[in-house]
Amino acid sequence: MATWFENMPAPSTTLKKPNYGEQIRAFAPVLVLVGLVLVIGTLRPGFFNLESLIVTVADTAILFILGAGSTFVVMLGSIDLSIQAICSFASVIVALMLPTYGYGFLVAALVMGLLAGVVSGIFHVWLKIPSFIVTLATSGLLVSAALLMSHERAISIEESGRAYLTWVNGRLLGLPNVIWIAGLVAALGIWCQKYTPFGRYSIAIGAGEPATWASGVKVNRYKVLAFATSGALAALAGILMAGRQGSGSPNLADQLLLPAIASVIVGGTAITGGAGGIGRTAVGALIITIVRVGMTFIGVNIFAQQIVFGLVLILAVALTIDRSKIVIVK
Amino acid sequence: MAEKAFLSLTDVSKAFAGVQALDRVSIEIRPGEVVGLVGENGAGKSTLIRILAGVYRPDNGALLLDGRPLTLSSPREANLNGIGIVFQEQSLLPNLTVAENIYLGQEKEFSRLGVVSWPALHAAARRQLEKVQLNIDPAARTARLSFAERQMVELAKALALEERTERHLVILLDEPTSVLEQREIDILFERVRALRTRASFVFVSHRLDEVLHISDRVYVMKDGKVVAEMLASETTVPQLHRLMVGRELHAEYYREARQRIPGETKVIRAERLTVDGSYRNVDFTLRQGEILGIAGVIGSGREALTRTLFGFLPHTSGSLTVSGRPVRLSSPDQAAALGIGYIPRERRVEGLVLSLPIVPNITLASLATVMKTGAIQTKQEREVAENWVKKLHIRTPSIDALCLNLSGGNQQKVVLSKWMNAQSKILIFDHPTRGLDVGAKEEVYDLMRTLSEQGIAIVLTADTLEETIGLSHSIIVMRDGQVTARFDAPPGNKPKQIDLIGHMV
Repeated sequence: MATWFENMPAPSTTLKKPNYGEQIRAFAPVLVLVGLVLVIGTLRPGFFNLESLIVTVADTAILFILGAGSTFVVMLGSIDLSIQAICSFASVIVALMLPTYGYGFLVAALVMGLLAGVVSGIFHVWLKIPSFIVTLATSGLLVSAALLMSHERAISIEESGRAYLTWVNGRLLGLPNVIWIAGLVAALGIWCQKYTPFGRYSIAIGAGEPATWASGVKVNRYKVLAFATSGALAALAGILMAGRQGSGSPNLADQLLLPAIASVIVGGTAITGGAGGIGRTAVGALIITIVRVGMTFIGVNIFAQQIVFGLVLILAVALTIDRSKIVIVK
Repeated sequence: MAEKAFLSLTDVSKAFAGVQALDRVSIEIRPGEVVGLVGENGAGKSTLIRILAGVYRPDNGALLLDGRPLTLSSPREANLNGIGIVFQEQSLLPNLTVAENIYLGQEKEFSRLGVVSWPALHAAARRQLEKVQLNIDPAARTARLSFAERQMVELAKALALEERTERHLVILLDEPTSVLEQREIDILFERVRALRTRASFVFVSHRLDEVLHISDRVYVMKDGKVVAEMLASETTVPQLHRLMVGRELHAEYYREARQRIPGETKVIRAERLTVDGSYRNVDFTLRQGEILGIAGVIGSGREALTRTLFGFLPHTSGSLTVSGRPVRLSSPDQAAALGIGYIPRERRVEGLVLSLPIVPNITLASLATVMKTGAIQTKQEREVAENWVKKLHIRTPSIDALCLNLSGGNQQKVVLSKWMNAQSKILIFDHPTRGLDVGAKEEVYDLMRTLSEQGIAIVLTADTLEETIGLSHSIIVMRDGQVTARFDAPPGNKPKQIDLIGHMV
């Protein structure tokens, strides 16, 4: 016999007409971005200056890379709270080791990020610990490691080391290299999402894990892969930040967790998983940057900006979440 | 018996997703009587009960209480009108005490200034427990009670409604005996009989002997309609059964003419297969092109056996051989890798990723088939999906439609496409026609015959015995975790339901 819930009726039998409301919702982030650009541009005409736009986009690049990695995790319906710690730790590794040992430590930093993600992922799937707890723990571990290694201070990269990072600050065809790198990450990410099993299964797991599992997909493996991706890209963001600032620091990215997650959500990737993508995170990161520029322009104290990001995050989740599908929120 | 009905349903209809679950059903309940409700799975019993319990609202028709129309928009409202339910799957919260469970949501009556008076609550709970003669401590954690005791607590909880309403009570018992042992059933029945002065009961069960035993009057349901109403004293189990099934086995309905002799190759062999606590020493073989039906009631172990074959519930002893290889399936991906596919009973949870379109759902189990040099070939993937939609007549405006928006039958066809595209050689059909209307069912039967003709081996756990017998080449019957009988079911010489039932209960 049926259990109480399993014979619940299908929501509708009639085949739905295209739902314009839903389509508008899908494009809302782009509309918001265009709207914000127009507002800022009108208030501050200098904004439309090509160089100024380039700087804005370059400023977005690192935020985007940080958000891009966690996009896969969010698509699964999980969250990665360790990205800022990985990012800072990577900058410390680079600042300490690069001058003496050279390029190898760029790779080492990336591997560290990857491993941090793998470890979080494995604990998450193996011990069935919620992702936010696991990554919070990983984050604590990495923050401490970074503090110990750096003796709790920012480390300026010596001249001999900066040579290894000139590529970060260079330009190619008139555009800063960070933009090219972010573009490459975006292109790869979008490609992965569309054309690889990893991308396909990430969405499927987020949208319906039991069905995906019962289709023979190795769900756990792909979850770990998502956390690994998140960790590796967070480390890349850390390397780029170290390169741009000429230093590494155990709290370099402390202020970036909230904006990075906000980028993912504002772009339209559902916090509950199953919908979204890296392209959307790019839009979201641009929105966050423009909001930041706007706040600076209006004269909001830089330390008060997190208040706004927090509010934006809540608002974005409130607008994008489909409450009809959520029975219980914990 | 001539007493007038105080609660009645008149011409009540209810449809889900285009399936008519209830079709102008009228029943009445008189004070102090036990009304039996019988019917096969899908006959509409559960829907009827849920309407009475305030979970569903009828599309048409009326509920009358003491002659006045009644609208129930929530279980709470049903409670306030004296209608309580004892769930088949128990609804008590195991981490709360017995007393807390009985008065869940009504602590206010025992509180002053927001502080609950435990002595008052426990005294009240004890009063309720006395009604069912259950001598346990109201402060005991529910998790520590036996299953049967919990059932009694549920009953006590329903009886506690007496204090909240002036109405005569109606207590709905939804398959209350399915997990009880005979001794416990006897106690339950004795209590129910004793409580008739306090309440009327509606008793739903698929065990017809029990229904006749406890009820005064019986309604027989079939395909969403009440097909008969009779006094329990004037009918027999076989008569009820005939009414429920409504037809002798219908050879055409199950495409018996298309039933071929299965091949020689054994694709699955189970020997003394056991999952501790679920079933033990199960032997069977499954040949190419064979449909093997597993019959049994809830708790017989057949559901667990089905889950074992797809890696959800690995066996603990015995051996399982798939395509000549001894295996122990500890997750679905291992089963899928061996060419096994699973059509789950919970189609909308385990069958499909509902919020994704048809295309990715069809290739979910076989993405590699549409990949070249490490990349999904989206054009090829769409062609594959398009092909299945055409082949299986999946009715949808496009292959980009979300599975959410398909009817049950078409959803089921998407699930089937998924495994057919994965070229599964063995398919586990777990209640494949659940919730489908007659037309969709026939399409599923047709597909199963086609698959069988192509040499695909099928394990079937069906909703009804009729379906099991009609479709299968051979049948194993399970009871209490063991195989109790085996039947061959060749076309034209199918075993009778009554033969199987004898080994099921």
